[in-house]
Amino acid sequence: MSRFIATSAIRGAHGILKEAEALLKDALEKLGPDIPVAFPATAYYLPVIYGFTGHKVEKIGDLVWPLEHAKSLLAPVPKEDLWLPYLGETLDAGVATLFAEEIVEGIRFAQGKQPEMRNGYRYNGPIDDVQMRSWGIQMVDGSMPGFAAIIGCAKSNEVAVKIVRELQSKGQLVFLSGNVKGRSIVDQLLEEGVDLGYHTFTVPFGSDTISAVYALGYATRAAFSFGNVKPGDIRQVLLYNKFRCFAFALALGHVDDLKYATAAGAITYGFPVIADTVIPNILPTGVTRYEHVVSIPFDDIPGRDDLERAERLVQRCIEIRGIKIKIPTVPIPVAYGPAFEGEVIRRENLHAEFGGKGGMCFEWLTMKDMEEVEDGKIEVVGPEVDAFEEGTNIPLGIVVEVAGRKMQKDFEPVLERQIHHFVNGAEGIQHMAQRDITWIRFSKSAVQRGFRIKHLGDILHANLHNDFGAIVDKIQITLYTEHDRVEALKEEARAVYHERDERIRDLTDEAVDTFYSCTLCQSFAPNHVCVINPERTGLCGGYTWLDCRAALEIKPTGPNQPVPKGGCLDPVKGEWEGVNSFLYEHSNRSVERFTIYSLMDAPMTTCGCCECVMVIIPEANGVMIVNREDYSMTPCGMTFTTLMGTIGGGLQTPGMMGHSKLYLTSKKFIPVEGGIRRVVWLSKNVKEEFAEQLREVCEREGVPDLMDKIADGTIATTVEELLPFLEEKGHPALTMEPLI
Amino acid sequence: MPVVEVPIEKWTGKVKEVRLGGNGRRSEVVGGEATLPFLHFEGSFPNRPLIAIDVRDCEPRDWSPHLVAAWGDVLADPGAWARKAVEFGADIIALSLRSAHPEEGNTGADEARRTVDKVLSAVDLPLVITGPGVAEKDNEVLVAASEVAKGQRVALGNCEEKNHRTIAAACIADGHVAIAKTPIEINLAKQLNILLCDVGLSPDSILLDPTTGALGYGIEYTYSVMERLRLAGLGGDAMTAMPMICTAGEESWRQKESKVSEGVPEAWGDPLERALIWEGVTASMLIAAGANIVVLRHPRTVERVKAVIDKLMRV
Repeated sequence: MSRFIATSAIRGAHGILKEAEALLKDALEKLGPDIPVAFPATAYYLPVIYGFTGHKVEKIGDLVWPLEHAKSLLAPVPKEDLWLPYLGETLDAGVATLFAEEIVEGIRFAQGKQPEMRNGYRYNGPIDDVQMRSWGIQMVDGSMPGFAAIIGCAKSNEVAVKIVRELQSKGQLVFLSGNVKGRSIVDQLLEEGVDLGYHTFTVPFGSDTISAVYALGYATRAAFSFGNVKPGDIRQVLLYNKFRCFAFALALGHVDDLKYATAAGAITYGFPVIADTVIPNILPTGVTRYEHVVSIPFDDIPGRDDLERAERLVQRCIEIRGIKIKIPTVPIPVAYGPAFEGEVIRRENLHAEFGGKGGMCFEWLTMKDMEEVEDGKIEVVGPEVDAFEEGTNIPLGIVVEVAGRKMQKDFEPVLERQIHHFVNGAEGIQHMAQRDITWIRFSKSAVQRGFRIKHLGDILHANLHNDFGAIVDKIQITLYTEHDRVEALKEEARAVYHERDERIRDLTDEAVDTFYSCTLCQSFAPNHVCVINPERTGLCGGYTWLDCRAALEIKPTGPNQPVPKGGCLDPVKGEWEGVNSFLYEHSNRSVERFTIYSLMDAPMTTCGCCECVMVIIPEANGVMIVNREDYSMTPCGMTFTTLMGTIGGGLQTPGMMGHSKLYLTSKKFIPVEGGIRRVVWLSKNVKEEFAEQLREVCEREGVPDLMDKIADGTIATTVEELLPFLEEKGHPALTMEPLI
Repeated sequence: MPVVEVPIEKWTGKVKEVRLGGNGRRSEVVGGEATLPFLHFEGSFPNRPLIAIDVRDCEPRDWSPHLVAAWGDVLADPGAWARKAVEFGADIIALSLRSAHPEEGNTGADEARRTVDKVLSAVDLPLVITGPGVAEKDNEVLVAASEVAKGQRVALGNCEEKNHRTIAAACIADGHVAIAKTPIEINLAKQLNILLCDVGLSPDSILLDPTTGALGYGIEYTYSVMERLRLAGLGGDAMTAMPMICTAGEESWRQKESKVSEGVPEAWGDPLERALIWEGVTASMLIAAGANIVVLRHPRTVERVKAVIDKLMRV
């Protein structure tokens, strides 16, 4: 806690309490204790006092107790030689200040001096209940994140207007109060002809700092109405606002003692305070979600002019409060939606192509620090699509830089893989593959309608915010189209891909303490639970352990939940206490245990989405693996479809198991049964698709020629055909320890 | 004869009790059972399932002539319709603000306010109010309806994942109950309940609509999901233990068997009787699966289903 801020706030609180006391004394004498005190058209009495204490103020006499209470909260102003962590005292001083300010405003109402009239302009005063309810619903449903309480006066009129416009464009309500040397932001906005009022989401409370208390009153009333909070249950009022109301205070211009004191009150509610002047920072997290007090001296903000500085100031406020941006429509000149995902652009309709045969195109999403990324910045480095002749294969490097408080390095590939799906949603644009084998096509009609390379950035910016807002706060995209730049960057990206692959390879089941569940398929397989670990991806091939971890961050109540491993029951078969208890609870108590690496002892169940089914072939002392795309008969006497009928739906069938194609390459591939050496039959299409990886696996396992010894549908579709083949080739399974 | 002991299951959970109405309006409580439907020998089943009658804010254009004949000229006036529904034995009025649908009038918040006000003053039964089923319009008219009905504790729906925050906010602000609707899936149902509670709605202010399939059109799917929700709830999972509401009337009346009178085998019998059977059997099965409120359309079905409930409630 800054000693300077603490001292100023406590001094400010003493000052305003003295003022309130004098005013109350005067009111009691002149008006008497029975004159009513109320904020018109609002329930909840004087809401801050009511929220904190449950004390109802209905007349002037009722103000005496809150004033005494506020005084009791107040510590003496710290002496020069006192060095303590002043946080508690400062926050209490803030609360005392809010009490005093509400008392002052209450008396002013009783005196008929509120809402304020100044220079012929009538301020709004407190927000009435009808409006509070309407905005409250929007705040709860997220269409309006919160409010910005601006106190003071901006550097210039144009800066004032820009700040308010920027906040409006982010859906923030704007509350206005306070002044600097008699000049208020309200004056500035009125001079510029800005329309203020409920209909423009701007509420001028008053021209002094005291009127800022209406913002906290509003927050308190919102907690009563929408948070089910009872008056006096102040802890709940404050928690509600900290976690649900994305509000902050923005002090423009000089910060005096009373502003510090009021700011301390705002911080109590979990609202950070940002100043555009030099004041001490309070950066650690605690009462507020992120930083408490941040000084962003206006003239030091980078920017070409004051308008750009104003824009950045607002951007920074949004970050400090942790407000998430939603972009309702993707701003591109062609239609956008899932209907266009399967579109194929044929040569005759092709305007431009990126990557593919003879081309060069890559995509690379990388994580940066918050300061390094400017949200919404989309830049094309090199010529645009219209600078090329029709039909050209244009080099393209898509570099996406993201920053977010909850972003992790490990989420990079998870987000990067979404590029395919995002870009495909645009009408007339086709996207295939990923990384440095990306292949994109623009159709003639899309380019005719104005679609440009830049719009790829717009698509990614909007979608990453909308779908991954929980982990990403800022996104900037650079699109390179100069051959040499693309080539150089591609090499950099390649090094990163390589690094990631290494990291995945190092990510072992032993190295983590949590696996993830997937219950997405319980809609049709009610008793099935997938447990996904680093070395065994989901059986549908769609979910890796990292995907699940990211999915949990994005949707904490979703189908991917953490499964703490708990005590290890069998390291070889892969059985853990935590997995079993999670499984039992989430399979409607129908599956009591499973082992993650074993085919024979309590294997994992299958929903019906598995890429492959593994079945024991007792005669061959091995296993066969048939893939979903392989329609042929198999040596076990059943096709893939028939097998699914047997093991799908969450049934545990020892000797049969569903899994992903990728599991074949895992080091934890049925280790109990002897790993890859047990495979005597494998669908031909998997053999081909994974030829390279399987060769590596066989080498790793010390059986480099194994692939030649494994049969497929072209060699054998019955056990009778299979056995002679295996014997002829000398398949290792024949001499391994018996499976049964 | 050997005496076979009836096996008694020991449940740890209980279905939440949800109150509708009150504050001058007739009050009804649903839920509260500590056993599977009607197993009176096993545990307490304190509140009988209730019947809501479908009332629309505009004259339905696609309703069966049998329904039109049964209701007559009140169909054009939601207030009169609701009064007649009371005569026919409704426990609850299920007011549908259908006219807000973009293709059926696209009315807005003002009309919704007027209709809700009218029905509220016409009858003293608790209300269930549903929007047209288009998320943005639902939000618009339900928020308005919520305001008019403040303090009368109505049920507002549908509240789905995409608009749950808005509906929850209105329910919290005005003291109503949200109808959490999910597409026949236990995990989605549970997730939506969690999300609603997360926004701050109290668990005793949620009714669960598991999405109804009519007889012959997926009722077994609905049945099994409802059964699983109950088993989970009674097994102690508080986030699945909300009372359930099923739109049996709407679903059964839109099926072929309730509509056609010509070109079908003679064995199908009298078209009206067939339609009534369809609605009645659909509703009875859903009640057997654990529905706490069924929304019906034909007055004679109401009578029949009431008789079924009477018998099932006999201890």
